[in-house]
Amino acid sequence: MSHPAPNPSSVSRRQFLREGMRLAAMTGAGAFVGLSSGRTGAREHYVWQIDPTKCVYCGNCATACVLKPSAVKCVQAYEICGYCDLCTGYFVPEPNALNTGAENQVCPTAAIERKFIEDPYYEYNIIESRCIGCAKCVEGCTRFGNGSFYLQVRHDRCVNCNECSIARVCAGDAFRRVPASNPYFLKTSAH
Amino acid sequence: MRALFPRSLFPALMGLLAALAGAASEMRFPPPEFETDYTMPGITTPPPRSLAMEYVDTALLVTALGLAAWLVHRRRSRRGLVALSVFSLVYFGFIRTGCICPIGAPQNVALGMFDPGYTIPLTALAFFLVPLVFSLFWGRTFCAAVCPHGALQDLVLIKPVKVPLWIEQGLGIVPFIFLGLGIWLAATGTAFIICRYDAFIPLFRMNGSVFGLALGGIFLAAALFIGRPFCRFLCPYGALLRLGSIVSRKAVRITPDYCTQCRLCEHSCPFGAIREPVKLPVTPNALAPERRRLTWLILALPVLIAGGAWLGSKLSVAAAKMHPTVALAEQFLAGDKAPAPATALPTPETRALGRAAETAPELIAAASEVRRRLGIGGWWFGGWVGLVIGARLISLSLRPNRTDFEPDRGACYACGRCYLACPNERVRVGLITPAEAAALQAHAPVPRPDVKTS
Amino acid sequence: MNFRRPFNPSRRRFLTETARASLGLALFAGARTARSATAVNPFAYDVRKYETTDPKLIAYRQVTAFKCPLPDARRLCLVGTDRLAVAAGNKVALLDRTSGASSAEIPLNNPVRCVTEGPDGSLYAGLRDHVEVFDAQGKRRATWPGFAGRPWISSLAVNAEFAFIADAGNRVVYRCDLTGKAINHIGNRDRDRGIPGFVLPSPFLEVELHPDGLLRVTNPGRHLIEAYTFEGDRATAWGRPSMGIEGFSGCCNPVALAILPDGRFVTCEKGLPRVKVYSQLGEFESVVAGVESFPENAKVGSGEKPGDGVKASLDAVVDGQGRVFILDTVTGSIRVMVRNQAG
Ligand code: SF4
Ligand code: SF4
Ligand code: SF4
Ligand code: SF4
Ligand code: SF4
Repeated sequence: MSHPAPNPSSVSRRQFLREGMRLAAMTGAGAFVGLSSGRTGAREHYVWQIDPTKCVYCGNCATACVLKPSAVKCVQAYEICGYCDLCTGYFVPEPNALNTGAENQVCPTAAIERKFIEDPYYEYNIIESRCIGCAKCVEGCTRFGNGSFYLQVRHDRCVNCNECSIARVCAGDAFRRVPASNPYFLKTSAH
Repeated sequence: MRALFPRSLFPALMGLLAALAGAASEMRFPPPEFETDYTMPGITTPPPRSLAMEYVDTALLVTALGLAAWLVHRRRSRRGLVALSVFSLVYFGFIRTGCICPIGAPQNVALGMFDPGYTIPLTALAFFLVPLVFSLFWGRTFCAAVCPHGALQDLVLIKPVKVPLWIEQGLGIVPFIFLGLGIWLAATGTAFIICRYDAFIPLFRMNGSVFGLALGGIFLAAALFIGRPFCRFLCPYGALLRLGSIVSRKAVRITPDYCTQCRLCEHSCPFGAIREPVKLPVTPNALAPERRRLTWLILALPVLIAGGAWLGSKLSVAAAKMHPTVALAEQFLAGDKAPAPATALPTPETRALGRAAETAPELIAAASEVRRRLGIGGWWFGGWVGLVIGARLISLSLRPNRTDFEPDRGACYACGRCYLACPNERVRVGLITPAEAAALQAHAPVPRPDVKTS
Repeated sequence: MNFRRPFNPSRRRFLTETARASLGLALFAGARTARSATAVNPFAYDVRKYETTDPKLIAYRQVTAFKCPLPDARRLCLVGTDRLAVAAGNKVALLDRTSGASSAEIPLNNPVRCVTEGPDGSLYAGLRDHVEVFDAQGKRRATWPGFAGRPWISSLAVNAEFAFIADAGNRVVYRCDLTGKAINHIGNRDRDRGIPGFVLPSPFLEVELHPDGLLRVTNPGRHLIEAYTFEGDRATAWGRPSMGIEGFSGCCNPVALAILPDGRFVTCEKGLPRVKVYSQLGEFESVVAGVESFPENAKVGSGEKPGDGVKASLDAVVDGQGRVFILDTVTGSIRVMVRNQAG
């Protein structure tokens, strides 16, 4: 019942064109793979990370991440922390008293834990589930203290967007793609 | 002890890191020595998704594509394709949450080609290329049951309404333009807009901005009634797959046996991909006006491309504003840095302008370089848009050569819905007897080739 | 029979719809790119109200300023009657006190962290773990032995008999004889003697000789200036934390100390870079230079200029006429301040 092709020559012409284009496409793809794999370092994938030396604490890390709350958290580099009693990353500029009262804390979500170690030293820990990555404590710490608080993209949370939506608006231009095998900037002591 | 500390932690970040480590070791001061036996906690570094998992994903992608091709062309099983779609939706969608997916991968490819600082990772390259290569052989098998975006839309489609062909054709060029735009902006490092306007990733993550989630909601709601709205009218990767599928070795056939032109399958495709057979005019002379028009269109094509290119180059000034560096440099040069009163709190803008003031010469140099590249890219993008429009006009004037009811090679998502609409296919797979098929065909709609269904 | 129909939707319609669609798209893109007025950062760390100084409190004015010709200037001291020595990079630079003209440079092998002049005119340069001694011509006379532990020498004071070496890393001041041999340790934590110990989150421990015969040592982590006898007994201490002008700001200030000819104190702070005068009893008296005098320094770590705050500090010395020389480690500039006639 099938109708005979009304114009066999045209059909085969199209067939030919199609074959040719497929061949061309395959060649193109092959050439492309060759070209791309010729460049080194392609084995690894990339993740996003913050260069803490460029961060200017603009607050966008808290608001611009596709995740709510942000995948960016404050981290504590214990090695360079002064363990200060009067931690400027923990306390507001003019605290009523050096205690854990919420009104004395810099952190809007009370995400920093102050733990007595020995006179006069206190350890400060970030409670990551509460931290929203706002960088307020980071500024307080870096301006007056040692900069042991700093922001990092936490890779257990980050979904590794193809284009990080914070990177787009980062006031300090601090975001960059880093190889996934080395995904953090670590601040360490020189000693 | 001092020597034990790794000085440069990111060999890959070379200069920058060297500077950082140098500066750091200069001023880093040891923490207090504690009298109690306090041990200092270390900083935790939860690792990102492992490379091994990326390879697993790639392997799964290839397997799923192979399976889909087999289900489409060999098994011809809609049910199998639905099952595979559910898997893909759950794994590639909700578990893997998307990135980097083939839809966005053209941007990575573009960036990798033009930005010496970025080498496209092998897995991203595979996600870009493998579905395309499959499309050259077996059509849009990726769309059929592997792409989580497609699967989601396909699975929620409950009551398809027919989209008029002219809308289909008109909006159908948007994916091509979007593709061009995405590549242009990605190659210049301006933005990954394909990712930015991806409708479903926020849904897969079940997290996201209000805009992203709303966009997803709108597309999802539309997908209940309009078959695959994102695929048809936006997806830039679909545009590439469409091209591959047009020249594919194997195309979807409603029935592999023979078409009796009973029209029973005519409305079975919710995506309007099924095309009717085309009758030849009685006399060849009747073709003359069409030929003339075609000639004119072909002659007009270079004009369209040139005009588009010119317009595109104008567009690059606006596009540059999307580039953070250019935007900042412009804002800085415009001098609207209105020295904030000492009492005003900083905004991200004032912070950025502060950085601009610190690094003005480099910033301006970088911005003008981006501008230059965007300008060149603008010509190409505009030309591409001209080409797309021209090619679509030409294809609208081409007389297809169709004797049976057939899916349009480019538009067919290989979903398999139409297979069992064909009584001959039902006979073939043994669902009905030839007699029952004949009865069905007797009740088939009367062919009305002069009235367009809409 | 219209055979064009089945495959050929109206081209005109296609064109108009394309135009319409692109217009819509352009409008959408435009709307998305158009920047809305950005809100203030709700998470800003706000110390702005402490960055301006009440002009009534400022009792000094700048007579001149010059730049240290070498990069990485850290500390300075007086040399003779008309020169300054600046520890900068791996060198000690000798500058004219009024013009800033460089008269000599003494090269060393490692970064010089502090420098001071002994009563006999020799120069003592503190490196990270030891002290080197030079004669007035810049010839090396001696290299003292290094200190054990985690030394980080940050300040020196020398009189006719002893050299006092502040080691921030070990959190102690050594009293040494003039061959560099340690005689006793000062300021080590000792509860029985009532010595709380130095708290140093950052490498700023400064020792000065006061005309009253006692030492003055900064204890920035406790926001104190402490007085010690040469034997290491803690005599007095004063100071309190406050961002306000009368106190010491931040977690660890003051970072530097100088003593006026009449025994009053000049203190330097970082974070909120400011230089102030306190009475012998530690009462706030006046401001030498407020935060507005060191805009570059104040920016470091504040977000206006990224970087670690620990790099930014001030140092001051006072000459016999009461002139205050302030070194800004961020810009490397040295300001010469004199007291207002009226004040
Ligand atoms: S102040 Fe902000 S960045 Fe710091 S711990 Fe709290 S939420 Fe996190
Ligand atoms: S990559 Fe995505 S999830 Fe990760 S920090 Fe950036 S915006 Fe957030
Ligand atoms: S967006 Fe950039 S500058 Fe702003 S807080 Fe995050 S890392 Fe810092
Ligand atoms: S057209 Fe795009 S979104 Fe749709 S199934 Fe294909 S690749 Fe996925
Ligand atoms: S397989 Fe059939 S129903 Fe599915 S998209 Fe293709 S033509 Fe339409």
